[in-house]
Amino acid sequence: MPNPADIYERIVNAKVYIDKNLDEALDLGCIARQANFSPYHFHRLFTNIYHKTPHQYLTYKRLQKAKELLEKEGISITEVCNTVGFESLGSFSTLFKKDSGDAPLYYRNIAYLKKKLAKEQPKRFIPHCFVETYNL
Amino acid sequence: MITKLSHTSLFVTDQQKAYEFYVNTIGFKVNTDVTMENGFRWLTLTPPDQPDLEIAILAPLHGGMHYTEEVTNAFKTLLENNALGAGVLYTPNCHATYEELKAKGVQFKSAPKEQFYGIEAIITYGCGNWFSMTEPKTM
Repeated sequence: MPNPADIYERIVNAKVYIDKNLDEALDLGCIARQANFSPYHFHRLFTNIYHKTPHQYLTYKRLQKAKELLEKEGISITEVCNTVGFESLGSFSTLFKKDSGDAPLYYRNIAYLKKKLAKEQPKRFIPHCFVETYNL
Repeated sequence: MITKLSHTSLFVTDQQKAYEFYVNTIGFKVNTDVTMENGFRWLTLTPPDQPDLEIAILAPLHGGMHYTEEVTNAFKTLLENNALGAGVLYTPNCHATYEELKAKGVQFKSAPKEQFYGIEAIITYGCGNWFSMTEPKTM
């Protein structure tokens, strides 16, 4: 029976593997192998530690990464979808909207507008108490 | 009616170093990052699952500040001595997150330890303050 420190290290290795390979077609067997556990044991341990199943965690990280990419310029929605490992634009858009409340394109447009506005009128983004304290 | 905390401030000795730690090491998100004409950088970050809580990362020793020299020096002393406890970071599993962050080079004042409230480790990151990283006990 592995000791708790060993279990944490192995599960963390698998989590980091997910973080670094979001664009790959990851399945439970492949992720569990990074931790050297059977898929069943890995699923149970991972869920116990992170309060999310490996699949839920993978989707969560992919959507986070998608938001980050959508806030950048010069990358299309389809490229974002592929870069974060979703197989179809339809499922990506549906999951994205369910998670953030907005469609990817709308999210991108709002992020772009916010960046532009922050550059042009930064004080719109700084509560006045800070403006006054820092003499801006 | 007040319903939530929208902004809070965190004084650091070095904004860029704090940025590296919060964004690149522990995964906070940048909400706004803009530098004013007088050199003041308005940098706000949000924890991954709290997109509407902006943490303003502030350099208290910025020249334009309205604080007296005495207050500025007091800030400086507190930061230089890592004396500011900045808050509690939630983690679903303190041991696992400790292992992960340690492997990334994060410094800890104390390793995970069972406390009355939950399991807690203390993080420092060389910017003048420290955080508790806590896995609360389940009811």
